[in-house]
Amino acid sequence: MADENIPQKKEEPKKKNNKRPNKNYAVKKRLPIRPVEGDNVIFITKKTNFKAQLDKCCDLLTKGEKEIILHGLGAAIQRCCNLALQLEILFSGTCQIEVNTGTVDLVDDLEPLTDDLDFGAQVRHSSSIHIRVFRTAMLGANQNL
Amino acid sequence: MGSSEFDATLGGDEHLPFSANSLKFAASRSIEIAAMTESILRPSKTKLIFQCLPVHMRRRVMSHNAKRLPIRHRVGHLEQLKKSGLPPKQKRPSRKYRRRPGNLLNEYTRRQRENVWLETHIWHAKRFHMIKRWRHSIAYAPCDKAFRACYRASSAHCLLQDISYHIPIRLTGTVDVIKEMFSKITNSGCGLGVCAKAYVDGKREGSVHLFKLNSYPFGYIGKATFIWHNDGSNKCLWLFIHPSQIEQIQSLLTDLLYNNTKESSNEIAEKRRKLMNNYSENIQMKLFPATYNRFRLTGPKSHAVLTHSLKCIQDLENIKNNKWMSDLNKSELYLNQKENYWQSIRSVSSPSQLPSKAVIGLVVKDPRLSRPKHRRKAVNYERDINVECLLNIPQFISTSPLWNTNIHDVIKKERLSNAKFIEHVTKTQLVPGEINEDDPALQSVPVVLVQRPGSQDSNFKKIGYGSGWDIILPPGYGLQFWQTFIMFGARSGGLRETESLAHEMGECYLPPDSDAGKEEEKRISEEMKEKYFRLPPSKRVNYVKLAVVSPFICPWKILLKDWSNDPVDGFYILRDKDLLSSLQDCIDQRKELPAIQNSSMCLIPVYLKMVNKGNLKRNALICLPEREDIQNVTSLFEPHHEDPNETLRKIKRKQHKVIIKKLKRKTSKLKKRRELGEINSSKTKIRTKSEPSEYVKSMRELWVPSDVKTVRRSCSRQIMGFLSQGAFSFSESLSCGVGYIAFNALDALLKTKQNQVLVRNTSSRKYRLANINIIKLP
Repeated sequence: MADENIPQKKEEPKKKNNKRPNKNYAVKKRLPIRPVEGDNVIFITKKTNFKAQLDKCCDLLTKGEKEIILHGLGAAIQRCCNLALQLEILFSGTCQIEVNTGTVDLVDDLEPLTDDLDFGAQVRHSSSIHIRVFRTAMLGANQNL
Repeated sequence: MGSSEFDATLGGDEHLPFSANSLKFAASRSIEIAAMTESILRPSKTKLIFQCLPVHMRRRVMSHNAKRLPIRHRVGHLEQLKKSGLPPKQKRPSRKYRRRPGNLLNEYTRRQRENVWLETHIWHAKRFHMIKRWRHSIAYAPCDKAFRACYRASSAHCLLQDISYHIPIRLTGTVDVIKEMFSKITNSGCGLGVCAKAYVDGKREGSVHLFKLNSYPFGYIGKATFIWHNDGSNKCLWLFIHPSQIEQIQSLLTDLLYNNTKESSNEIAEKRRKLMNNYSENIQMKLFPATYNRFRLTGPKSHAVLTHSLKCIQDLENIKNNKWMSDLNKSELYLNQKENYWQSIRSVSSPSQLPSKAVIGLVVKDPRLSRPKHRRKAVNYERDINVECLLNIPQFISTSPLWNTNIHDVIKKERLSNAKFIEHVTKTQLVPGEINEDDPALQSVPVVLVQRPGSQDSNFKKIGYGSGWDIILPPGYGLQFWQTFIMFGARSGGLRETESLAHEMGECYLPPDSDAGKEEEKRISEEMKEKYFRLPPSKRVNYVKLAVVSPFICPWKILLKDWSNDPVDGFYILRDKDLLSSLQDCIDQRKELPAIQNSSMCLIPVYLKMVNKGNLKRNALICLPEREDIQNVTSLFEPHHEDPNETLRKIKRKQHKVIIKKLKRKTSKLKKRRELGEINSSKTKIRTKSEPSEYVKSMRELWVPSDVKTVRRSCSRQIMGFLSQGAFSFSESLSCGVGYIAFNALDALLKTKQNQVLVRNTSSRKYRLANINIIKLP
């Protein structure tokens, strides 16, 4: 389990990322800033079951939602792409996807490990993907409804 | 006719003396007088007191209602009533009488004498199960059993708890002296100290582990949070202490402050002695129980609740007339900066996006002005946010007049009561339903917000879980703010939610090496024991057959003794951060543990997660797996054990039955004779429900033997430790638990190159596999 107090050994390969600027600080992550939330907005995570999120998307689309927006951040980008492609296959012909990429500023807390230092913060950047899945024909939806 | 005369001068035969001796006169009548006084004092008449009263003083049903007698007779009357066996019954006053405001208030103050009530008590008492703990009346759980709803509130919405029972202590003095003082009761290995640079400027709230004087790592007391406040030239340290530890900490601090002259004489260093002697002169300590209201908001939407309900005051002009402002230096309020900052972070979607543990002091409008008409869901403001304002806490934002205790009385006095508020609003409003938010009649209120970062380690818990705000309010304004938060979509929780949140977060809630933890353990074990013995014997789990030696309480000392072969007096839980993280690495890499001091008395806090199925419960056994166990765990059961006490119990029960039969016969005989009038009917003894009888005690001993000598090898796998808390964790969708294992046991586990353990519930034979993680923030 990686944590703030990882010994140097484990840190070395990651040093390029500048994850831990100083030995005197522990890096604590904050929640990333979220885009607009809504019923049709889904944040793809690595922890949630892939099938469950796919089902959720399918449900939304079949229930008559015109478009859904998938957000993926960092390591979840690949999952997000997979999911969108799966959706395209499942709703063959009635669904299209539109992809946007971007960069998100992430804020980390730098917690001091010694008494004579103050708290700090650093900004990291992480790539993100925003996929809009929208229906071109509402055939399936009309039947289901 | 002449014979009828008495006196000789009139022709009678009696000669009267010329003088009367008064002494003789009195003496000859003394017997008479004595008899008279005696009869007055102790009337031989069998009349009751009220019957002796003159007619004009008699009243109806005097004998039933003592209050109809003159006061001087009442005591005697009650005595007489008791003698005659009639218990003096007092009728309960009518509901209408009881509900009169004055009488209700009297009743409330009477009930508050033993257990302190919080300001929101009456609101809670209508909706919550109230329990008495730590000399407070605390809401335990909502009556609608909303267990899962409360979890959902904490993870996706907003959970609101009243934690005003935390008691503030103010220490005034210079930083150096306070640092010196706290160096004896804290340790730098457990994290940042009280006087760390990060905290001293008052921008962040810190927390610190407190130990008894110079006894680290033993003698753990508890965790206290603190906030520094600049009070002119001097610095103030506000400690917030859990009520279970307040007595211990108070006595510890007073000892440190006033009784250090003896110690200092032994000190060699002159400078140190100087400092120590000056403790009591340089540091003032004061407790402020029931002063501040502190509410805890947990969950991502707690920020939305706060932004909706707290409306900052922009202009100093508006609040110039507030009475509490009169003594303050108005230039130190920084209203504009605060308003700007509060606006800039308005659209944050979760408090965990903000600087961790930040302290924000605000001056806000009366919360009643901004309430919605109906209760509604908390909704975030939608607007882009500038990353810059998340990075740093601006200067002066943390200062607050709230820490000035002189203004509290004024604020409380000037507060408009709800009735007055409604009256005022209905009188002044032009359009019905519209409220003027800048109403000068309502004073502004200083509040302090404290951010809690929640989980910041994505490997352990999802980031931001458990994040939220603490809000500290002046006295008198608890309920007003509380109701506003509720109307803006917060869900209220109680002490149960505090416990379950600690469990979800994987924190040690009241660890067992502190006095508070021991007390809690004892209380729970008593409860479990009572519940167990309330069951009929056929429904009781036979713990002897399951080879569970101590099903109700975890025998930490015996466990440690078994693993070290030395007698163990005390024990402690490892809190050294560096050591804990190195232990975690050892577990991950399956390598041997480093040697530590006092390893035989050391417990390691661990967080257990089930690998497959299984539901962990309190006091479950954490066992050391043997070589083949991990592969065959599905078929791994504790073998059946014989219960040698079973036959003993049966014999005992038989004997007892015979005795009972005899007694029954005796009593029925007595009863018959009494009916015939042979024996005076003596008063029957009322048996109070108190101690169980000798027989019951001995039977209980046979069910669960209390003299535990060894636990390590009590079942087929060696016991490493116990679970102190275990349940299904919604955030992990797995059964999880917090437990403690002996250091030597962990060493033994890692020597076998394994990093998983077996867990068995006290009521089951099945061993299950679990992963262990070290808890780094015990």
